[in-house]
Amino acid sequence: MSEINLELNSIVMRFGGNQAVDHVSFSVIKPQLIGMIGPNGAGKTTLTNVMSGMLKPTNGTIYLNGRRIDGHPPYDVVRAGLGRTFQITRALGRMTVMENMMVPGLAIRPRARRADIEARAHEILDLLTIDHLTNELSRALSGGQRKLLELGRLLMLDPAVIILDEPFAGVHPRLQETIYSYIHRVHEDGKAIILISHNMGAVFELSQRLIVLNNGALIADGEPQAVKSDPAVIEAYLGEDED
Amino acid sequence: MALFQRIEAAVDAGIGRRRLGYALLALIIVYFLWFPNDTSQSNYAKTVFISGFFYAIMSSSWALLAGIAGQFSFGHMAFMGIGAYVAGLVARDGLAFLTAESISAVGAIFIGTLVAGLVGLVIGWLLLRLRSAYLALFTIAFSELFRIVMLTEYDYTGGSNGLSLRPLLQIADVDTARQVEYYLMFALLIVCLLALYWVSNSPIGLFLRAMREDEDAASALGVNVVRYKILVFVFTSMIVGLAGAIFYSDVGSERIIPEQLEILQMSLIIAYAVIGGMESLIGAAAGAFIARYLLEATRQVVITLPFGLTMADGSDAFVWEPGAWRYALFGLVMVLTLRFMRNGLLYPIITWFSGRGLVMKETVAKRESDEDHAGRLEVDNE
Repeated sequence: MSEINLELNSIVMRFGGNQAVDHVSFSVIKPQLIGMIGPNGAGKTTLTNVMSGMLKPTNGTIYLNGRRIDGHPPYDVVRAGLGRTFQITRALGRMTVMENMMVPGLAIRPRARRADIEARAHEILDLLTIDHLTNELSRALSGGQRKLLELGRLLMLDPAVIILDEPFAGVHPRLQETIYSYIHRVHEDGKAIILISHNMGAVFELSQRLIVLNNGALIADGEPQAVKSDPAVIEAYLGEDED
Repeated sequence: MALFQRIEAAVDAGIGRRRLGYALLALIIVYFLWFPNDTSQSNYAKTVFISGFFYAIMSSSWALLAGIAGQFSFGHMAFMGIGAYVAGLVARDGLAFLTAESISAVGAIFIGTLVAGLVGLVIGWLLLRLRSAYLALFTIAFSELFRIVMLTEYDYTGGSNGLSLRPLLQIADVDTARQVEYYLMFALLIVCLLALYWVSNSPIGLFLRAMREDEDAASALGVNVVRYKILVFVFTSMIVGLAGAIFYSDVGSERIIPEQLEILQMSLIIAYAVIGGMESLIGAAAGAFIARYLLEATRQVVITLPFGLTMADGSDAFVWEPGAWRYALFGLVMVLTLRFMRNGLLYPIITWFSGRGLVMKETVAKRESDEDHAGRLEVDNE
């Protein structure tokens, strides 16, 4: 089990006059399954971009296992142990599924034997039920299969903390099951997962802890049942229909 | 079509596509090695070939930069020019504590190559945040800036008259000289292609292609995009800097002139690569060579009239000079290529020999046999 200690301290992200993330602080110290929810425009994806190094925060610090990572480029953040998927899948279209898997494999372990990395890629593709598509160009995959490929690439990186940005969006129920089992499997492997989703059923079913954002600020952080009954959350996000 | 399929099946069952491809490649290399020994060939024909080799290096290295790494640069000719001009200037004026006399032609070429690489480093760094159209515009501006400086600073560079470099080979006999120049340029092409292929087939090549597809995604997958973007600029700049310094050291041409650095010349490099296949190094190289050859061959076409027909001046030959039209025809080929065969005219041939089509067929067969997958696709597509 890899060491996990992610710490966000008062993260602020401003775009001109718009404060997209407003002094958000939280920490992840064990392989928890954390749901991150909030209405559209709450700042979830912006915070993900800040955490993964795609955006440099206006203010605040992020430490991962004692190493400061805020403002570091994404490849450095990944190497430090924080990986992510994208809300809209970003498969490397004119490269085969195997090449998509080899990129993170070779980037993270440049000295490893190519055959070993390939073997690992096959294992992961098999787990995700897309092993038969190894030589297919990734642009030929369906939307759901691309989601699976993205998850596969993350496993090649073997990060300690994984952020899944809307993994169920636009995915057929049968593929959702595969993604569910993926999340469980990865969690059992001792990784922390931050799950961002509008699929409330999935979030409540999977999460051990829930973080709620609204207007860029963190308004609740705790056990799902407790968060669900938090008046601030009900007002901001769940509305009157709690169920 | 049926005949082709039968041949295809026979090749697959027999020697195999890849091996057949290598055998053909070996034959082509043997032909090029034999060519200068063909006494029926003029020195002019050898010169055309030498120029073809030079442009093949230019196009294939641009294919790595633009086709594989996705950095659509217009600065390639400028980097070539930097290599040539610097080699010429240091051999004439010396460099810092080195006197001009102490710098040999090889030394000058080395320094030219190094400076091209250094400028590539700076330009690569400046281009880090620029993509697509902005990158193209930046490199056009850089290229023009360099050309205008070379044109304007005529006291140093010779202006539009150009600059002579220290001759690399000093062979008195013209025939022998042409033969040696031919082999030198051919060897340089082979070395450059091997170097380009080595990079393209290494993990670096994989990372470059990932960056071409999606720079942010590549970075999120652990690829140090800053390092590889700069690296590809330095590497290709050094290759064209070296090629330029050697070609203009009286190997392919006596002097480098600013006209060579014009956007039109750069557009030709791009056109050769596009027609041959931008994402294939050998395709781009072959495209450049064939195009250069055809452009030379079509300068003047003489058609001998049959049946004792004569022209008004009494000659029996109709002379057509498509010289003025050949670039227009060339442009037409490029337009049609981009519209109908975006991967280049040679790409289908190269793909066929690589056997990649076979792998794809197997994958499709596997996919079709996977009912579960077919079911998923149907639902996904709904």
